[in-house]
Amino acid sequence: MKFIEVKNVVFAYDAAEEGEEPKTVLKDISFEIEKGSFVALLGHNGSGKSTLAKMFNGILEPESGDIVVNGLNTKEESTILDVRKSVGLVLQNPDNQLVASIVEEDVAFGPENLGIPPEQIRQRVDSALKSVDMYEFRAHAPHKLSGGQKQRVAIAGIIAMEPECIVLDEPTAMLDPQGRKEVMDTVIKLNREKKITIILITHYMDEAVQADRVIVLDDGRIIRDGAPKKVFSEVEFLKCHSLDVPQATELAYRLSSSGMKIEGTPLNETECISAVIKALS
Amino acid sequence: MIKDITLGQYFPGKSFVHKLDPRMKIILLTFFIVFIFAARNFVSLGIMAAAVFAVICISGVSPKMYFKSIKAIIFIVLFTACLNLFYGTGDPLWQWRFLKITQSGINTAIFIAVRIIALVLISAVLTYTTSPTDLTDGIERLLKPLSVFHIQVHEIAMMMTIALRFIPTLLEETDKIMSAQKARGADFESGNFITRLKALIPILVPLFVSAFRRAFDLAMAMESRCYHGGEGRTRMRVLKYSKKDYLALGASCLIFAGVIICSIYLPATVRTGM
Amino acid sequence: MSLLELKNLSFTYGVNTAFEKKAVNDVSLNIEKGEFIGIIGHTGSGKSTLIQMLNGLIRPTEGQVLLDGRDIWEKPKQIRKVRFRVGMVFQYPEYQLFEETVEKDIAYGPKNMGLDSDEIKKRVEDAARFTALKPELLKKSPFELSGGEKRRAAIAGVIAMDPEILILDEPTAGLDPKGRDVLLTQIAAYHKTKGNTVLLVSHSMEDISRIADKILVMDHGNKYAFDTVRNIFSKGEDIEKIGLQIPQITKIMIGLAKSGYKVSTDVYSVEQAVMEIMKLRKDSRVPAAAAKKEGKR
Repeated sequence: MKFIEVKNVVFAYDAAEEGEEPKTVLKDISFEIEKGSFVALLGHNGSGKSTLAKMFNGILEPESGDIVVNGLNTKEESTILDVRKSVGLVLQNPDNQLVASIVEEDVAFGPENLGIPPEQIRQRVDSALKSVDMYEFRAHAPHKLSGGQKQRVAIAGIIAMEPECIVLDEPTAMLDPQGRKEVMDTVIKLNREKKITIILITHYMDEAVQADRVIVLDDGRIIRDGAPKKVFSEVEFLKCHSLDVPQATELAYRLSSSGMKIEGTPLNETECISAVIKALS
Repeated sequence: MIKDITLGQYFPGKSFVHKLDPRMKIILLTFFIVFIFAARNFVSLGIMAAAVFAVICISGVSPKMYFKSIKAIIFIVLFTACLNLFYGTGDPLWQWRFLKITQSGINTAIFIAVRIIALVLISAVLTYTTSPTDLTDGIERLLKPLSVFHIQVHEIAMMMTIALRFIPTLLEETDKIMSAQKARGADFESGNFITRLKALIPILVPLFVSAFRRAFDLAMAMESRCYHGGEGRTRMRVLKYSKKDYLALGASCLIFAGVIICSIYLPATVRTGM
Repeated sequence: MSLLELKNLSFTYGVNTAFEKKAVNDVSLNIEKGEFIGIIGHTGSGKSTLIQMLNGLIRPTEGQVLLDGRDIWEKPKQIRKVRFRVGMVFQYPEYQLFEETVEKDIAYGPKNMGLDSDEIKKRVEDAARFTALKPELLKKSPFELSGGEKRRAAIAGVIAMDPEILILDEPTAGLDPKGRDVLLTQIAAYHKTKGNTVLLVSHSMEDISRIADKILVMDHGNKYAFDTVRNIFSKGEDIEKIGLQIPQITKIMIGLAKSGYKVSTDVYSVEQAVMEIMKLRKDSRVPAAAAKKEGKR
């Protein structure tokens, strides 16, 4: 079942200086996102991926074309709160999206805005904090947490609104490897266990390979769209568009160009090791 | 380092005063202030001072912190007391040209000093025993009736909440920017006033830029989380008056009654308000 | 005599308070002129505190930092001179930009050094070249640049002081793969041309192994290891144990070795791995029994 429909979306930022052309960042983009899927949006800086992220919940409106979430057009003023309730947005900088100076009060912010009765908010906050493994930090001050922990609190703040979809705009770009792992584990868990649709914007390939669909944007257009195995099999193509491929995939690719028979497209070290062993024996 | 500064000076604890509803604490503080001002003789003021002392004793915060709060204003206390010392009426006990000290002057000086110290201490009790979040919450709820007069109570409270949340972050940022500019040879410690002021530009500009960037992000995050002003908004935390609050209210009323009775039946020692 | 000598260097935060915490514990090592050193360690391992002691932003609580054999705190009033010799680029350095134009911003450091305007101009141009900033960008406001350009402009501001030692704290954090590659290439080129000493702090073993000669591994405030890149990677599994990530390619080689293939595990680039595995194809396979022993060792 389709959850989000992106139909012929065009978007341009106003010219920075007079006389300059407005900068078109999205050029006629169309795709659909299935309910419960885990989609990774890839592309280098300036490819338009962050702009697109802010359109899924109507923070930005397409200049032409439409974005329809669960049957609601994001351009429609009267239903925008319903759209935002079902599509949460997590930003890159964990410091800038927490509102309150106590973790649990911050998580309560969304449900409070929705006008939910106090006892229910309490329940939602507790279960949201548990689902991101931050329950024991509920009385802490956000500025004393690590980056990964802050980002998980931000995710809990979205979960407490009981959304159907979470859009994450480079959530791990400012984190250390430990924080990145914490956030990715949380995101995957939410997708698997709570069936929440995930749209992950990233430029880390090891994160993208964990999705079940990868969309590659370049210069405001979709240049590839498919399962990670299919997209990452085109090593040269991706490198050409200044994108990385996981080292495991690159190794397999190089080995097969040197004449070894490697089957399939390994995306992580385990797959790569077994593919190499198979080819050697 | 700058980021070590504690804000709001809150000392977490489990004392009777800590556990009171923030609204009750704010209301009682207001009345304490009114009655400390209303006290016209030493007996009334003595009752109030004793009450303040009692509250401090049960607040569970180290007396050291209270001394600190007095130390900060000791200059103002001495200054006002000195002024009043020479403004008394009646027979001079001591005179030097136009400066004279009278019994009433001495009385007023002591009276004013005690009054200011009592005011500062009772206010300190509130900030020491109430977390900034509770304080904001209490103020918002108490002021809610004012929205009838189109006063944006919710917005003010929201601003306070956000300020509380971001002050530590911005202090930390200031620290980082200072280190970075020092690494490029910035010198904040030498030169005259103007040079030092100029040396602050490389800190202030990045700080403002960063504050704006954060504000922009925060606005987007808040909008994404369905924030649309105070209308139709509920709160997770419900403030409820408990037995303790009524007990505190009762005790305070007794004290206030005592002050009123003393003020009516005993002569005033001091003429002036302050 | 080494260019930079760390002698029993320690730093404790909040001495004599309840928050007392030893951030750096008794670190001693020598850094020679022209070396490119990568510093790695997880958050809280003391690496940030350590590098800030090297240019006198933090004064060690114990031990000494010797620059050309002289304690940098010998004359505390002269500490600014040390900062000109040991340049430091902080994390997210673009947040320190403040001038009206990129040119003026880069010139801030050299100006603080008291150089004359001709020299400053030359320094700015050189620094812009080293960081691949196009000349037309110099007249623009730093706030108009793209993310990657801002980052490079900020780094140019430190390079313009022409420090003998350049320290960079996570210079690629938050950049996309392209921005990261451009920056690392520029830093490597700068090091090669200038022959200066460079210290680069990073979470990414992949980045460090690409350009550094030696790696310092920090763990809980201690020097865990300080050795050449190859030697560090030969201890790949130990490094993983202290919570650091090793490159995926190294993990693959360790995995192959464990499955009984005779490959060296001190591999950190795809090229090396391809060579190692192709060698396996040419050699006939190791007999199974011998291979098992090999794996267990």
